[in-house]
Amino acid sequence: MSEPDTDPEATDEAVSSPTPGSDLAAATGSASGSLIEEPIIESKDIDVFYGDEQALREVSMPIPEKQVTALIGPSGCGKSTFLRCINRMNDLISAARVDGDLLFGGKNVYDDDVDPVALRRKIGMVFQQPNPFPKSIYDNVAYGLRVQDQEVTDEIVEEALRGAALWDEVKDQLDESGLELSGGQQQRLCIARAIAPDPEVVLMDEPASALDPVATSKIEDLISDLAEDYTVVIVTHNMQQAARISDKTGVFLTGGELVEFDDTQKIFENPEHQRVEDYITGKFG
Amino acid sequence: MPRNEYQSQLADLRADVVDMSETVAERLEMGLEALETGDEAVAEAVIEGDAEINQMYLDLEKQCTDLIALQQPVAGDLRFIAASFKIITDLERIADLATNLGEYAKAGETSLFPEVDLQELGDVTLEMLAESMAAYADEDREQCYAVDERDDDLDYLCEVASDTVVRELIEHDQLDGDEEIEAYMEDVSRFLLTIRDIERIGDHSVNIAARALYMIENNDELIY
Repeated sequence: MSEPDTDPEATDEAVSSPTPGSDLAAATGSASGSLIEEPIIESKDIDVFYGDEQALREVSMPIPEKQVTALIGPSGCGKSTFLRCINRMNDLISAARVDGDLLFGGKNVYDDDVDPVALRRKIGMVFQQPNPFPKSIYDNVAYGLRVQDQEVTDEIVEEALRGAALWDEVKDQLDESGLELSGGQQQRLCIARAIAPDPEVVLMDEPASALDPVATSKIEDLISDLAEDYTVVIVTHNMQQAARISDKTGVFLTGGELVEFDDTQKIFENPEHQRVEDYITGKFG
Repeated sequence: MPRNEYQSQLADLRADVVDMSETVAERLEMGLEALETGDEAVAEAVIEGDAEINQMYLDLEKQCTDLIALQQPVAGDLRFIAASFKIITDLERIADLATNLGEYAKAGETSLFPEVDLQELGDVTLEMLAESMAAYADEDREQCYAVDERDDDLDYLCEVASDTVVRELIEHDQLDGDEEIEAYMEDVSRFLLTIRDIERIGDHSVNIAARALYMIENNDELIY
C-alpha cells in the first residue's frame, strides 16, 4: 500500500499521498457523458469488516451524478465507513476489509489496477474539523494540485477559491497563513483545496458540525452550488441539514445496514420503513 | 422514548384539537336547536360563543407553528401537524356556520317550509363531524372514506330541500302587498341560506376527513 499511514495528516486529507503520476485507471472510466439517470457511483453488496466486527452489511446504493446525496443515521451506523469506501480511505486502516463492488463510472475502485491516489484526485474529501496546513492560503490550495503533480497557476487557485465562495474574502491576503482564517473560512479553504484538482466527486464527512450557524449556512449554500459541477456525498448528523441541502438521502441504522435510500423529500415526508420513520422523528437513536 | 417533551407536545396537540371539535359540535347542536325552537337565548349563546372558538383556533395555530419552528417535525409527525393545522381552520369555519344558524334563528320565521326537515339535515352534519374527528383521533382510514360518502347523501338531501323551497315559491300566490312580499322573500332567502350553510358544514367535515387520510397514509385522494 502506497499510503503514508504514519503521517498524522493522512486520515484527514484525501490528496495527501506524495505519489505523483499515478495510474488513472479508475478515473478515466468515469461517468462523464453518460446518461443523467446513470449513477456515477454505485455500491453493490458492500460489506466492511474492522477485524471481526462487521461495520457495513450488503450496502447497495446508486449515487446520482451532480446531485447532493446525504447519508444519515445514528453514531456507529457505518455512514462514515461507507463514505470512506468510496475513495478507499479505509485502505488506511490496516484492520479494515472491504467486500463487494464499489463502482465509479462503472469501474470497481477495488480492482487491482486502480491506484487509490489517482482515484482520490477524482474523488476529493472534506472533513469535520477544518484542517488547513500551516501554510499560506495560496499554498493550501496549490498543495492539492502539487501532490497530484498537476500544474499550479494563479488562475486555477483563484478558480478553486471562487468555487469555494472564499475568493472575495481572501483575495488580498493570499500570502497569509490559512490558520489565520475563521473556522468557517478554514473549512471553505479545505473545500477549495479539495476542488482545485477538479475532481468529479466531493465527499464530505460532517463538514459543518464544528461551525457556528452562520458559517454552517455558508457551507450549506456552497454545497448546493458545488452540485452544479460536482457530485457531492455528505455524511451528516444533522437531519435538518440533510433535508435542506440534499437531493437523495440514505438512512443507515445500527448494524451497518442501509435501510432506505430515496429522494430526500420522500424520506422526510413519508419514508417506507417504520424504523426510518422512528429514527428521523426521534423516537429512537 | 427519546424527545419526551416533544412527544407530549404532539399528544397535547391531538387532544386539544379533539377538544376544540367537541366544543364546535356543541355549538352546532345549539345552532340547530335554535333553528328548531326559535329560542333566542340559545341563538345568542352560539353567537357570543364564537369569540371563544376563535381564540381556541389561534391558540392551536400557535401550538402548530411552535412545534414546526422548535421541533422540526418530519414524516408522520409533520403530516400530523400539517393536518391539524388545516383541520382547525375547518373547525373554526363550522363554528362560524353554526353562528349563522343562530343568526337565522334570531332573524325570524324558520318553519316556513314544514316539508323540509332541517333537523334531519343537521343531524347528518353532526354525525359527519363526529366521524371525521374520530378518523383523526383514531387514525382510522375507513372512517375518512365513510365521511366522504356520507357527504353525497347530505348533498342530495340539501338539493331536494332547495327544490322543495323553490317549488313552493313558484306555487305560492297568497301574498298581499309589497311589505308582505318583501318579508316573505327575506324568510325564503334565509331558509335557502340555512340549507346552504348546512351543506357547507358537511363539506368542512369532508375536508377534515381528507386531511386525516393524508395524515394517516400520506394519501391526498380526498383533498378536493
